[in-house]
Amino acid sequence: MKISYNWLKEYAYFYLSPQELADKLTNAGLVVADIKPKEDDFFLEIEITSNRPDCLGMIGIAREVTAAVGGSLHLPDTDFETGNTDITNLVTVSVEDPLLCPRYTARVVRNVTVRPSPEWLQKRLLCIGLRPVNNIVDITNYVMFETGQPLHAFDLDKVPDRRVVVRKASNGEKITTINGAQRVLFHTMLVVADSKKPIAVAGIMGGKETEVSESTRDILLECAHFEPRQVRRTSKELGITSDSSYRFERGTDLEGVEFASKRAAKLMKDLADGEIAGEVVDIRSRKCKEKMITLRVDRLHTVLGVEIKRDVASDILRRLQFTIAREVNNFIDVTVPSFRRDIDREIDLIEEIARVYGYNNIPTKTSIHIRSSGKTKYEIAEDCIRQCLTGLGFYEIKTYSIVDTSSLQSMHLWSDKEPIDIANPLRQEESRLRMCLLPNLINVKRYNANYGVERVRIFEIARVYLAGDTLPHEKTCLSVITDADFYSLKGILELLLQQLGIPSKGEWTPFKEPKLFKDERAAQVFLDGRVLGYLGEASKELEFKTQTSLLELDVDLLIESANFTKKYQVISQYPSVIRDLAIIIDERVAWSSIEQCIADIRIPFFKGVNFFDIYRGKQIPEGQKSVAFSLCFQAQDRTLKGEEVDIAVQTALDTLREKLGAELRKI
Amino acid sequence: MIKELEEVKKDFLNEINSVATLKDIEQLKIKYLGRKGIISDFMKTIPTVPAEQRATYGLQINTLKNEFTSLIGDVTRRLSRGAIPRTEKELFDITLPGKQPPLGKKHPITQTIDDVKEAFARLGFDVAYGPEVELEYYNFDALNIPSDHPSRTDFDTFYIKNDILLRSQTSTVQIRIMEKQKPPIRIIAPGRVYRPDTVDARHSFMFHQVEGLLVDEGVSFTDLKEVLNQFIKTYFGKDVQMRFRPSFFPFTEPSAEVDISCSICSGKGCSVCSYSGWVEILGAGMVDPHVFKAVHYDAEKYTGFAFGMGIERITMLKYGIDDIRLFYENDIRFLSQF
Ligand SMILES: [Zn+2]
Repeated sequence: MKISYNWLKEYAYFYLSPQELADKLTNAGLVVADIKPKEDDFFLEIEITSNRPDCLGMIGIAREVTAAVGGSLHLPDTDFETGNTDITNLVTVSVEDPLLCPRYTARVVRNVTVRPSPEWLQKRLLCIGLRPVNNIVDITNYVMFETGQPLHAFDLDKVPDRRVVVRKASNGEKITTINGAQRVLFHTMLVVADSKKPIAVAGIMGGKETEVSESTRDILLECAHFEPRQVRRTSKELGITSDSSYRFERGTDLEGVEFASKRAAKLMKDLADGEIAGEVVDIRSRKCKEKMITLRVDRLHTVLGVEIKRDVASDILRRLQFTIAREVNNFIDVTVPSFRRDIDREIDLIEEIARVYGYNNIPTKTSIHIRSSGKTKYEIAEDCIRQCLTGLGFYEIKTYSIVDTSSLQSMHLWSDKEPIDIANPLRQEESRLRMCLLPNLINVKRYNANYGVERVRIFEIARVYLAGDTLPHEKTCLSVITDADFYSLKGILELLLQQLGIPSKGEWTPFKEPKLFKDERAAQVFLDGRVLGYLGEASKELEFKTQTSLLELDVDLLIESANFTKKYQVISQYPSVIRDLAIIIDERVAWSSIEQCIADIRIPFFKGVNFFDIYRGKQIPEGQKSVAFSLCFQAQDRTLKGEEVDIAVQTALDTLREKLGAELRKI
Repeated sequence: MIKELEEVKKDFLNEINSVATLKDIEQLKIKYLGRKGIISDFMKTIPTVPAEQRATYGLQINTLKNEFTSLIGDVTRRLSRGAIPRTEKELFDITLPGKQPPLGKKHPITQTIDDVKEAFARLGFDVAYGPEVELEYYNFDALNIPSDHPSRTDFDTFYIKNDILLRSQTSTVQIRIMEKQKPPIRIIAPGRVYRPDTVDARHSFMFHQVEGLLVDEGVSFTDLKEVLNQFIKTYFGKDVQMRFRPSFFPFTEPSAEVDISCSICSGKGCSVCSYSGWVEILGAGMVDPHVFKAVHYDAEKYTGFAFGMGIERITMLKYGIDDIRLFYENDIRFLSQF
């Protein structure tokens, strides 16, 4: 809403500089977004929230000013004398759709002289950014900005048969609007028509044919109430917005129609020397129901936390033009003015009182009781994962959940079900909720490579969206990209499992997904038989220049399995003994089998086995490999003797030979 | 490692450190790695070791040999590169840069969410989450948003199907929590939200919000003011001023927008605060009785307040970031700054 500082003074007396006025209005909830000096005036741009269409006119703003600073509201004079002819002899009006047009008023002003408006009026319009046209058009604009009620002036001589009908358009009907564009109408739209064709799109814009010009003699002044929903839809369908549609969409005052019409007619008499025809056509199917609300004064304290006396409260309401019907004990009965359609309940009155009392005058203090709040297991686990990875040099990234429909993005890592598509995407190419995280990480790696950072370590923790019953299943996943090989990334996964207190190292099976992973260098990992995720070296198809490995895990499963209870294990006072070994074994035997085989022996003072490396070369027969590792022994109650360790090592070697055909490697 | 091998290693390291010419290094190489060198001598002793220790012993000799070879290689390369003759004593240059191990960072959005969570945890707020793909009921109906409200159109909300959408605000979590739990309630709910805004420096179709909700007997507007005051002082600093302005949200009544004094110009007026000295950081208000009705709470008995803020917005304010797209480009040069 654009206002002029000088113009506003016509309705409210105040001694405030433009900046002071702006502060008052902002504190009352009418945010002043801009103040600009304009000649001998000031222009203010005010943001009006959607619940306050009553402030889309200068009088509405003035009402707020008087509520804030006191004083009374001065409404303009609307008294005039009429000519001898009654309107009923000059025009016939009918409303075919009273639901969409609950009130339609018409006045006729005859024998006007169309000429430029007086300077004072032109100045005010110019201040709020409107271009003066002629006195008649200017008056309709002026009164709209004054009252918030849009009006339209037709050249009555150009309305054939002098008949006006408010009706639905028929499909394909056409109208050329004032701005010169031809519009094709549709049966859902409401129009103001003559006996044959539309002369205005109701509430939005008038037609070119009946536009007021210098030759206009008689004016048909329309002042009506159109349904907000109807105006909003038509405005959207036609792609036209106007100061008029803006106000109708938000809802105008059903009872304010008459005042605005009289005000405009009077100005036309005064400024265009017109003669106002007797009577008014006022077709209405609805009356604004008078709303009576009771305010319990003590409820003010309950909601606002501050004591506001009854007379202070009723004074505020009176200044906002509520009528106080009764005021007794704890109660104030008020009648809501018709222009405040946003006020229905006691809580709405409380807000009005709080607003004018001043939010910043309400104390900042609390008596809420103390309460401890701890982290959930979910929070702890997520923090733990982030801490681990950032400590290891990984940057956390965040990427969009809405992705393209490429085959990479549509991989079914986590579900076989169909992807979830958005019905109204911003761009047709990006219309899908992601089903896995890795593709976005791959894109981020490429993005950084374009800026010269080839080797990146990144991760993201976010949700993927998998089709479910009513709502999708939103699974939280972790995805990692690193600049190292399979085993380095596997090491990080092991570390994460340890930090989350998960004793398992996962069950590993080979996995094939050529879009992501290099053949034979990828695995699917399970945790107690449930899929934990996927890990592998990047496929050649991804065209990375350096060694890259990828990982994607089910965080929900990780968190479910996590265990953060820690118990101290007594540290042995006795030294541990480590023996390094190298065995030659069939190529097909996996490390996990060797490890398991040794563990199964159940040597009482056996602490663990540590893998060193695998060697294949000249000294090793074809089809076999040398596997080097160390065995660690320790007792809690004594220092181990060399002989007992020797025996244990020999037992391990014997068992490995027996079960896996392993031989000690001789050098 | 056996003692003899350790001795050899010590000697070798001493000698290689005093090597000055390519000729010296060649001699060292012959001494240790030559056909009749020290390592070779050790190799010959392997068969004399007891059988069960042989493998380990051999392995250790091999490791040592690899280590020596690599060190000799390094020094040879360095000497053949450096044409400048060495002075008697090498300068140990303490002004050379240190060797930094890589350190990753949490995304700035995560950092802000963590900061907000921590500030509110100290005031007794738990963290709650809700789905991002939501029923229209939770995003609109239960929040007292009328059926013809413009925010429901597909210009303002992403739809999956008729009554299923991508949540446009984290206020949805309020309803889900109140449906499950009776008062007292004290939660914050961070998360992703979606609105079909064309992406530019100030808009993103996906961003993060944190919603807060406190419901109990005897909760009033003064409590809302103080809780937010505490948060603002914690997050933005002790000297920051706070201002409440009346506003409108369908799910709160009275509703407010909260501004803080502009930290760039300390309230004097600059381009960041549009020369007003204030910047808006959050929306808040007392929970509307209609919302309580939707979750079957007694609005006479209980009162409460709710608030919501944009995570990107407060992060941008705090660090002076002027383009929201930076958060989702994930340029390492950006991420490493926080
Ligand atoms: Zn500033």
